[in-house]
Amino acid sequence: MAFFLGIDVGSGWTKAAICEDNELKSYAIVPSGGDYKKAAKEATNLALKKLNLSVKDIKCTVATGYGATMADFANDVISDISCHAKGISVLFSNVRTVIDIGAQFTRAITIDNDGRIINFIMNEKCAGGSGKFLQVTARILHVNIEELGRLSLESKKPVEFTTACAVFAESEAISRISEGARPEDIVAGIHKAMASKIMTLVTRVGMNPDYAVTGGGGKDIGLVKAIDNELRSKAYIPYEPQITAALGAAIFASSK
Amino acid sequence: MAGIQNLKGLAKAEKYYTDYGTRAKELRAQGNRVIGYISALSPVEILTASGVVPFRLKGNVEEAITKGDAYMETIVCPFVRNVFDSAIKGKFHFIDGMVLPHQCDSLDRTSDIWRDYLNLSYFHFLNVPHVTDEPSIEFMKEILRLFISTIEDFTGNKITVDSLKKAISLHNENRRLMRSLYDLRKSNPPLITGSEMMKVLVAAMGLPVYESIELIKEIIEDVKGRKPLTDGQRKRIMLIGDQIDSVIITDTIEKAGAYLVMDDISIGSKMYWQDVDEDKEPILALAERYLRKLKIPTTFVDTGGTYEENLNARFGHMRKYIEEFNVEGAILFIYKYCDPYGFEVPAIKSYIEAVAVDVLYLEDEYSISSLARMKTRIEAFLEMIA
Repeated sequence: MAFFLGIDVGSGWTKAAICEDNELKSYAIVPSGGDYKKAAKEATNLALKKLNLSVKDIKCTVATGYGATMADFANDVISDISCHAKGISVLFSNVRTVIDIGAQFTRAITIDNDGRIINFIMNEKCAGGSGKFLQVTARILHVNIEELGRLSLESKKPVEFTTACAVFAESEAISRISEGARPEDIVAGIHKAMASKIMTLVTRVGMNPDYAVTGGGGKDIGLVKAIDNELRSKAYIPYEPQITAALGAAIFASSK
Repeated sequence: MAGIQNLKGLAKAEKYYTDYGTRAKELRAQGNRVIGYISALSPVEILTASGVVPFRLKGNVEEAITKGDAYMETIVCPFVRNVFDSAIKGKFHFIDGMVLPHQCDSLDRTSDIWRDYLNLSYFHFLNVPHVTDEPSIEFMKEILRLFISTIEDFTGNKITVDSLKKAISLHNENRRLMRSLYDLRKSNPPLITGSEMMKVLVAAMGLPVYESIELIKEIIEDVKGRKPLTDGQRKRIMLIGDQIDSVIITDTIEKAGAYLVMDDISIGSKMYWQDVDEDKEPILALAERYLRKLKIPTTFVDTGGTYEENLNARFGHMRKYIEEFNVEGAILFIYKYCDPYGFEVPAIKSYIEAVAVDVLYLEDEYSISSLARMKTRIEAFLEMIA
């Protein structure tokens, strides 16, 4: 019996995944907060606890994500783009385009049969199309970020946003509210604006009919639906989209 | 600073890199005049011939712009704003004047700001044309003559054909030596790292040409005798961009697991790859060197031939670098609001990719604020081409 750990220290959340024989056995998600080292340990311990394991049962650990180097107990560091690609290739072997919507970054990645990167693109220094957009929207409307998806699906008349910038969208949302727009229409409008921004990334990197949406954004059903509308197809969504890179890291660890 | 003169080779370059401007300051204190310039489009030969110390102005990616934004709009490119910020804060207090070329909008349209707020004893706007045809060469020659006459008036030193030829010959020697140093990157692994090279390039641009020549000679001696590092197989990368002048960038690339073996950047190969023809009349030779031989995105090149011929004329040198230095991947690193490079990106990318070399395109500020973001991309790129 050998267990392998993947740890993804993201800008918003830290994710740990434990695999045995390339199969996911346990995972944990904790907020990254201001101490990435602490978050990495916490997520690891939580995931281990679910299997009644201790650190010594882990044969190899690969860290990934924005704060990967802070997980200093890892044996190796691999970029989150490679880890997303690997994670998705294990989950959905036919998927060739991965759209990862994280707290700060959105990435579009094209992959080959073996889950290797063919090409990738990230949003530049701009939160448009990233999870930040959703956080801002939830804050303005005083709703939980988890509720945005459901709310969006209730919309009958999505608000047209004229900007893809998260900061300007905030003031635009406020103007629309002052004009009497419904919260669900605001959310649906934000989802649409994000989807079109994501669409430009996907167009640049190369669109394939089989694509997956990962990261925290993959949990927002309204956003996924808006992306599906833009791409005129249906996304593959992992059971837990947020741990895709951690899973990929654990798979990499298994082959070390 | 007394210690610097005792240092040699790479150690000396390191010191000049860290305390940029220290030598120019000393030379000024000894009674020399120092003239600042800002890009590869400045004919340093003329400055050398006039007896002044040419000193390339640079910014600092680790320093926030705190005063400059009160004078320049934020639409101006982050490099120009950062250098101006350093200037207005008095970091270049030892320069007597500066020459600023007609190059990109961020330089052209801010020339009055540099001139009016820095209050230098000498300021010259070098009106370089943007096309390379025959009338433009004639125009460029006149522009160079005008530059010569203003610098003569300022220094009181006449620039003769002989003094100009001598300066040209010195700068060609400097270029030849720097190319010899670059040659030591051709082996696998290279004998000199990209970050060491960056320090040498920055050190050299802050020195009078004869001191640069001596420094590069020492460094070649230092590096030639090295045994190549053997730390595994790494991809050989070329860095393409404009005013990249910090080891933070080169370190980020090399620490991600690459050998940085070549560049097409403003302070690098763009300065050193093309000589001035010593067999021609010097003004004509200079005009041709800066207008035709130097390939920069602000110069419009139209060979009159096909699109492919034009691309070859504009970027052919990069393909040569790829072959000569065995480049396996290119990083195209552009500053935000850099219009000239921004427009070139798709053409450069497809031109290089056509020879089966992958290109990573990065766009960023002239600042280290988003280094972690860059690191992720570079790592993923290296994994992609592995």
